[in-house]
Amino acid sequence: MAELTYRDAVAAGIAQEMARDERVVFLGEDVAAAGGVFKSTVGLLERFGPKRVRDCPISEQAIIGAAMGAAMTGLKPIAEIMFSDFLAVCWDLVANEIAKTRYMTNGQIALPLVIRTANGAGSRFGAQHSQAVENWAMAVPGLKVVAPATPADVKGLIAAAVRDPDPVLVFEQKSLYAMKGEVPDGEHVDELGKAKVLRKGKDCTIVALALMVHRALAAAEVLEKEHGISCTVVDVRSLVPLDAQTILSEVSKTGRLVTVEENPRLCGWGAEIASIVADECFWDLDGPIVRVTTPHVPLPSADALEDNTIPSVERIVREIRERID
Amino acid sequence: MDVVMPQLGETVAEGTVTRWYKKVGDAVKADETLFDVETDKVSTEIPAPASGVIAEILVQEGTTAKVGARLAVIRESGGQAARPAAAPVTAPAAPAPAARGGPAAADARARLSPVVSRLLAEHGLDARAITGTGRDGRVTREDVLAHLAQRTQSPAATSPPAGGGVARSAGVVGAPPVPSSDGAQTQPLNSIRKRTAEHMAKSWTTVPHVLQAVEVDFSRVDEARRMAGEKWKQREGFSLTYLPFIACAAAAALAKYPRLNASFGGDHLVLHKRVNLGIAVDLNFEGLMVPVVKDAGALKLPQLARAVHDLAARAHAGKLRPDDMTEGTYTISNNGAFGTLITAPIITPPQVAVLSTDAVRKRAVAIESGGKDEVAVRPVGMLAQTFDHRAVDGAYSAAFLKEVKTLLETRDWQRDLEG
Amino acid sequence: MNRKAKGKKAAAAGGDGIGRETRLELYRMQVELRYCEKRAYDLFLQNLVKGTSHLSLGQEAIAAAFGVAMRHDDWTFCTYRGHAHTLARGASMTGVLGELMGRECGLLGGKGGSMHLTDVKNGAMGSYAIIGAHLPVAAGAAWSAQYRGTGQVAVCFFGDGTANIGAFHEALNFAAVWKLPVIFVCENNLYMEYTPIASVTAVRHPAADRAAGYGLERIVVDGNDADAVYLTAVEHIGRARKGGGPALIEAMTYRHSGHSRADPAKYRPEGELEKWLERDPLKIYRERMLKLGFAEPTLSDIEAEAMRKVDEATAAAKASPPPKLEAIEKNVWADGGSAWRN
Repeated sequence: MAELTYRDAVAAGIAQEMARDERVVFLGEDVAAAGGVFKSTVGLLERFGPKRVRDCPISEQAIIGAAMGAAMTGLKPIAEIMFSDFLAVCWDLVANEIAKTRYMTNGQIALPLVIRTANGAGSRFGAQHSQAVENWAMAVPGLKVVAPATPADVKGLIAAAVRDPDPVLVFEQKSLYAMKGEVPDGEHVDELGKAKVLRKGKDCTIVALALMVHRALAAAEVLEKEHGISCTVVDVRSLVPLDAQTILSEVSKTGRLVTVEENPRLCGWGAEIASIVADECFWDLDGPIVRVTTPHVPLPSADALEDNTIPSVERIVREIRERID
Repeated sequence: MDVVMPQLGETVAEGTVTRWYKKVGDAVKADETLFDVETDKVSTEIPAPASGVIAEILVQEGTTAKVGARLAVIRESGGQAARPAAAPVTAPAAPAPAARGGPAAADARARLSPVVSRLLAEHGLDARAITGTGRDGRVTREDVLAHLAQRTQSPAATSPPAGGGVARSAGVVGAPPVPSSDGAQTQPLNSIRKRTAEHMAKSWTTVPHVLQAVEVDFSRVDEARRMAGEKWKQREGFSLTYLPFIACAAAAALAKYPRLNASFGGDHLVLHKRVNLGIAVDLNFEGLMVPVVKDAGALKLPQLARAVHDLAARAHAGKLRPDDMTEGTYTISNNGAFGTLITAPIITPPQVAVLSTDAVRKRAVAIESGGKDEVAVRPVGMLAQTFDHRAVDGAYSAAFLKEVKTLLETRDWQRDLEG
Repeated sequence: MNRKAKGKKAAAAGGDGIGRETRLELYRMQVELRYCEKRAYDLFLQNLVKGTSHLSLGQEAIAAAFGVAMRHDDWTFCTYRGHAHTLARGASMTGVLGELMGRECGLLGGKGGSMHLTDVKNGAMGSYAIIGAHLPVAAGAAWSAQYRGTGQVAVCFFGDGTANIGAFHEALNFAAVWKLPVIFVCENNLYMEYTPIASVTAVRHPAADRAAGYGLERIVVDGNDADAVYLTAVEHIGRARKGGGPALIEAMTYRHSGHSRADPAKYRPEGELEKWLERDPLKIYRERMLKLGFAEPTLSDIEAEAMRKVDEATAAAKASPPPKLEAIEKNVWADGGSAWRN
């Protein structure tokens, strides 16, 4: 095991797959010579050369369109969209073309490609550079969606995404890039569609994603120590495919579901989880399902405001204490 | 032995337990009335299937259960498990939950989460027997599991009855009347009233109602009634009213006008072969029932009279069977008892029409006799039909009414009575 | 029309190096595209084709010329007005008409419809129904050919309206910077949907006049002259194949029908259609072939054979059942299914 930062684990994941498969190519804005605005792709140009690691103009439609055209003709491109907010600029390609082409052509066209993007709040960038938009992708049939929370997961899930025959969006939480964690040595490939149970408790199951996983774990610690409430924490990791069975099984053990989401309230991913649990796990519930989310507002910039907008450890503790009876 | 929800009619899938006559720990004899079940509008007393002691009541009053669902458990007499003394012994031993939190606690206990409801049902437990440790004394999943664990350890500690049986009259749902500040009383609706309210509101808001009425001269009917008179009453035990005559005429006319003996289906009309006549019966201001005379068109007048009388009598006695209420294709509402002139009744969808009969009174009418107009005194009443304008038009309805009128005014009813 | 295109037109009258077989093939292709498109229109009238359909009656010369000029492993990317381009790559007529009619035999099994005709085995890499989207996609395919050194070329057809959308400019710049083997072909039929393109565009030639912005040659060609289009296609496809980078070609043409089946095209000035009917690509080409000494029966045989093919395809498509309902949940993912959870 080596300790890597989340950003180095991103580069390690891409490098692992490029070294393994000539068909894997990487493109994006400022990703090659500059090593990425978040320095998450440093060293790739030097190692794999300008033919495979390519800087692009500020043309999100061209980047994603090119990745699509390359994927349907034999390559396995990884495209970077610098901030997930910019997905809106090329959403036609993502949601109308990439997501639907296999289906519309009745399986004639395959699109093995990966779109990586820096997602989420915590950097005081304001409303157009801080959104958590993984739920946008989740709402479109034909897209697979992962959001890793740790260095090991980001490496392993990028590798799994590259090897997957379908289009996968990898949402990297930009506040996590500096986070350090153990990453397995040697080849590390994870699996799409698998949630992880990170902590076992008996009173409540907290289901979280990406940055929120760490806050949920911290909240569970406080709840246990200070309030005698013992929580299970599940990291969803993959929204599509969704490991519903793990979630249902953990909720049925504690009788309680709390989702912790960075998405603004309406149609955040937790709403779908809540719906599945209410539908399939109803007779195991010992209380209402609780969603802790960002309120339905664009994100403010000032640290004092941003910190109180996305779910904090304190808010998770408070909401669970208030709602668990 | 398990007590299960009986099948109260071929078309009935579930019933609501409206009253338990026994509580947990009470002794019960086989065939003694154990509980009331209500289906749609009919309440039925259900006898105990065996003698013994009520060990558990699994479905509380006011709860609806599917046919075949377990409702209670009777520990049969002579069985080794019978512990009639258990209740008095254990009751003081368990802390009385009601003592902990007043009315709020009672609410919290009543508010069972899905998992608690399921566990209680699976293990045949009564929530009132379990100490709630949740907010306001709510019984949590942990409480049920702890209770079960404890029960396994000490088998004697079973279900103390809590609160005692609150005697509630069958069919009354919700709290007793609460006086308000101005002295007005809030009267909770009984279940018949509630359902009537729902059905009427739904019909009135979805069906375009049109009313038509004809004046009918009941001279020939009166003559037949007079002729049959006392003899009929002695033989049959009840008086012959206008209603069976009207029902008979309506059934005959419906055979000629099948689009009024129909169900409206949005984009189609189902024309029924048989005339199943719903007869609206008032329960002394306590609600309205509509039992159904099946295949009325096949019945001769005396049979029809008996059927109508039988249904009305059983409705008043609360002895209707659930099947008596179903499959109506056309309804007659009899409002004449209080001297009304005309009533605009509400249709029972998917039926497409309803007929109201009002008071028959002696009136001066102009008749033609020997080529001359004369004034005569005749028994005259209104027949008013409301029809669903989506299903038929006014001319069709009017033709039907004319047919009924003609039959009532011209048929040889005496011969019908002899038959 | 620039000097170059005029030169080509003169050459087309003979001595242009176009062989006899190629000319027969160009004519056969145009006739088939015309007859099949007309049949598609007849089938709407019979209510056998549901949904929308965008006809390219009058624009056949462009699809046919490129179809003849391309190598079989080259790729076509076209728009929702793509029946002709797909057929020109060799797609089955039954598959096209079947797809329009929503039958199981359709190219896409009934899941795409008129606007998404695709036939990967013949290099028809999809019809894209959102203006502009497929230009960067074609560039990406060209990138793949360049990366793998296969010598394949991507040809991307689009209408004049596309030249005003962002993706057009992104793709042109991207392809030019990366020197990608992609040919962008603007079919300028004078109208975006219902609005004359001239009234909403800052330059006279919406595509060609923008070429300079991407360091590309300005090319305008007579899109109703199959020979002129063919010669242009051969030249630029060949150049791109050798690593010469992209080309942007604007082919002037005219659609005889409205934008879609819902459009009677009442917005056209009186006499405009008649003028263009005089310049109908089939009419021009037939007359030229007769002048060049092709025998009348040779041409009428081609026409009769094309009609027979269309009739046969129509009957086969009509006989095909509607798709099985299982298709609804198939082919979202590579595993053939649509499961999004366990």
